[in-house]
Amino acid sequence: MSGTRAVANEGWGGEGKSGSGVRRSGRNFMIAFHGALRSIKLYPLEHSAVQKSLSELAQIAEEMRAEEGDLEFRVAGEFIFINSTRLRLDLSNYATFGHILSLCKSAGIGAIHVGPHGGARDWSLLLSLMGGEAKVGPAERLAQINSRLSEAKIDLFQLDPPMETESDQQFNEESRAAANRTYSQGVAVTKDVINSVRIGKTPSIRKIKRVVQGIVDQVLNEETSLISLTALRDYDEYTFTHSVNVCIFSVALGRRLGMTKLQMYELGLAALMHDIGKSRVPLDMLQKKGQLTDDEWKWMASHPWLGVLVLFQFRRQQEELSYRAMTVCHEHHMKIDLTGYPKTVRPRQMSVLSKIVTITDGYDAATSRRTYQTEGLTPAAVLEEMRDNPRRGLDPVLVKAFINLLGIYPVGTLVVLDTFELAVVSSTNPSPEALSRPIIKIISDPRGNIISPPLVVDLAVPEAGGNFKRTIIKTADPDRYGITVSDYLT
Amino acid sequence: MTASVPPKVDQDESREPSFPIVFVTDLLKAFVKAMRAHQLYLANNPMHARSLEAVKQAFSALWAHTDTLELQVVETQLKWEGRVVLDEGERTSENLAWLFYKDGIRELTFLEGFENDDLSDLFDLMQRVRRATVDDDDLLTLMWEREFSALRYKYVDLLVEAGPGIESIERSEQKEKILSPAEAEAGAADNSPVTQIGDFDSALYFLDDTEVEYLQTEIQHEFSRDVRPAVIASLLDTFETQKDPTVREEICGLLDYFLLILLSTAQYRNAAYLLREASITSNRAPDILEPQKQRLTQLGELMSDPKPLGQLLQALEDTPLRAPQTELDELFAILQPAALETVLGWISRSNNTELRMLLELAATRLASANSAELIRLIGSDDEAVVMQAIRRAAALKTPAAVPALGKMLTVGEPEMRVAAVTALTDIGSPGAMQMLERAIIDEDREVRIVAVRALGARSARSALPRIEAAIKGKDLRESNLTEKMAFFEAYGLLAGDAGISLLDSLLHSKGFMGKRDDSEIRACAAMALGKIGSPKAMDSLTRAASEKDVIVRNAVSRAIRRAPA
Repeated sequence: MSGTRAVANEGWGGEGKSGSGVRRSGRNFMIAFHGALRSIKLYPLEHSAVQKSLSELAQIAEEMRAEEGDLEFRVAGEFIFINSTRLRLDLSNYATFGHILSLCKSAGIGAIHVGPHGGARDWSLLLSLMGGEAKVGPAERLAQINSRLSEAKIDLFQLDPPMETESDQQFNEESRAAANRTYSQGVAVTKDVINSVRIGKTPSIRKIKRVVQGIVDQVLNEETSLISLTALRDYDEYTFTHSVNVCIFSVALGRRLGMTKLQMYELGLAALMHDIGKSRVPLDMLQKKGQLTDDEWKWMASHPWLGVLVLFQFRRQQEELSYRAMTVCHEHHMKIDLTGYPKTVRPRQMSVLSKIVTITDGYDAATSRRTYQTEGLTPAAVLEEMRDNPRRGLDPVLVKAFINLLGIYPVGTLVVLDTFELAVVSSTNPSPEALSRPIIKIISDPRGNIISPPLVVDLAVPEAGGNFKRTIIKTADPDRYGITVSDYLT
Repeated sequence: MTASVPPKVDQDESREPSFPIVFVTDLLKAFVKAMRAHQLYLANNPMHARSLEAVKQAFSALWAHTDTLELQVVETQLKWEGRVVLDEGERTSENLAWLFYKDGIRELTFLEGFENDDLSDLFDLMQRVRRATVDDDDLLTLMWEREFSALRYKYVDLLVEAGPGIESIERSEQKEKILSPAEAEAGAADNSPVTQIGDFDSALYFLDDTEVEYLQTEIQHEFSRDVRPAVIASLLDTFETQKDPTVREEICGLLDYFLLILLSTAQYRNAAYLLREASITSNRAPDILEPQKQRLTQLGELMSDPKPLGQLLQALEDTPLRAPQTELDELFAILQPAALETVLGWISRSNNTELRMLLELAATRLASANSAELIRLIGSDDEAVVMQAIRRAAALKTPAAVPALGKMLTVGEPEMRVAAVTALTDIGSPGAMQMLERAIIDEDREVRIVAVRALGARSARSALPRIEAAIKGKDLRESNLTEKMAFFEAYGLLAGDAGISLLDSLLHSKGFMGKRDDSEIRACAAMALGKIGSPKAMDSLTRAASEKDVIVRNAVSRAIRRAPA
């Protein structure tokens, strides 16, 4: 192993418990914050429900200050930090977090420092101002809010504009580097596993586990970088990148659904191995261009159950390799009514992990170019089909959660703006309200002149006056413009 | 490998340590000692407990100075603030630092509370890694899975080589100008196959409470359910739907292997499911080849074979069965007739009450469904099996067992002959009674007693001549009181009034030289008269009520008291 690679593979393990305490109280703070915002929106200020929610918020903030010695609420990109600890997004809080993030963005707030001895009155004014209608741009709104607070002689809060600190930059760079590393390791190990099985060798399960551990860590730490890599679509390495992509999408969806780290790990192992049965399908069939004959199709359709047999070979090496991975292998081409393939004889209850992998597998396959599918469909079209066509047999709630994860315009989608600029979606906005307003890289002006380097724009941020400067009007076919989307994602 | 991450230690060495180094060195000494104790002694051993306590005390002393302890792992050494705090020399699995280093861990950070939350778990992992084979998980993988709450670590991934890297993905040639979106979209907007923004309504993508609850329930259910049955179903479904003999052969092999795994991990319900479903598959799979059908069938038979079943029972013998009892019920429910001999043998041998109860149930089920096997086992060489087989035959009242039981009366040991007599009694068929009559003259007293009592109780009048002969004969007079009583009472029950004359003469008549008969015989005659209980019999008894012989008098008064009204 070379020195460089060893350094590149560095990582941290173990969360430590100090962060978990802040996360817990931070989540409670966010829930109280959101609850107070909602009640202010629904009732007059003097209403008991509003007063109660404000008192609760003030009390939680005071308790956190007492415990931590300080209370700083900061937003950076899609993340919320409380006293430098990043709060984790999951199914139970994503709407709350997303709403607060978008409010902060439109109010031009990057951080709120909360001083001591705050009361309901202090909070009521801040929240009313934040929740008010945005008639001006973020910077101007922040100035207005500060001025109104000052007029009301409220000095509990210090509001800062958004700024990318050095540590944010470092965090982002490290995340991107780690994501690249994790992704390429994933592809390498998957290749090794599938090729090993093909030549009759038993692959190393330890390596598979480590790759999935890396993916889970990365998704927990900062999933955007990793998800953006799934849009690279390396044609030549499809079989391997596909497995890694399915693993990444599944783990990220698992996280969004509130799975624990170990549950995400099991899901990730199953997802990475879901196509392992293809290692026993003749290569010429996997690589065949054009339509498959009936016999060839039978071979292809056998890969789910072949996967179970292959994983049993692995079990001889290590007993703990999950039975869930076998179940997912077997079921990932079944529909929720158990039709699809392979045919079932005995009654069975389809695993939720299989339902997840069915969706992520279908999405990645449909959006990729392969030997027998030289043009991938656009991500948006695939999501639409998944959502609208019940004959696909996907779990509609999971599809909804998946769209929520990827956004209506998933990373890698080429979009046309109402300015007739062309842009590539580089990350989704975490707020469900901003699903149609992702963060994009504008790559050409309306006349087709390439903008280099691309201009990064958050479509959810309104300009002065509260209007949006740019809006997506449609998705576009990259081939029509001769664009390789992946060029803009790394 | 060492050079790949240069230890950041030496530069710090000249600095004053944050607190006296002795707290760290003492802690590590205690740590190593406790690790060894964990390796050598069971958790309930006082040495183990003492060594753990010593580490906890050392951590407590340390936490008075800091709330985190950061150690660098440098091959065979541990360093703290640039100073070597543990150096165990050789690169062996006994070396604490090397154990971490070889798997890529380069820095350990202990947080306050580690000794309470994580210490034992870390020792467990280290112990596991020390014994690990090349295919087993390394320490880094295991530590990740464990999710320590008060231990952080920095590592270098030695196992996973990076791939060619994202950078290697070919980039397309950089252009300066592309098709003008303004023109392109103006011309093609209506015909474009791509999605229009109006196709999605972002409001749809909030998950409502019911949907959130549904997903959470699904996840909770998934991770609490046992997925092994689904895997078994996958294998057997594949067997049934794929006719390729090679595939089927492979699945047969996997089922053999899986069954062993399930049995060895006490997954009895799943083992039962596998065996049941394999049997169904053997009958249902289309175009199944005979050898493969046999392999599936043999799975069930295998479980009933003495050796595998004996292994299972041996494993269960020393285990408290409370948890898997219901699972065992299912497994035992599918045992085949061949299992009966082993099960019966274990009923006698088992000291595990719960297991014995399960075996009793299984034996009853197997015996009632397979009387031929039960009858065969009455002739087994294993005495324990014979005894249990006879008991089952009795409980089941199986007339077909009569010949085998009769044979047992001629060849079995006394204990078995007694059991056979009891079984014949319970069966109670005419054939069984005939066999019992033979037992009246058995050489063993106990057998004779049981047989004659049974015949009396069953009113087997055909036995009367033999019993009468015995009463009149010499042999009975030389026997003990119990046997005499059994014969006389049986005689009374079977003979009725016709027997009064004989009994009366035995009770009252004087014999040679005016001497009365033996007291015991007279007492027995009295009891027999009591059994008859007719007025004539009572008259005979009343006449003896003032008998001088106390044994006879007592018997007479007892017979009168107990006589049927």
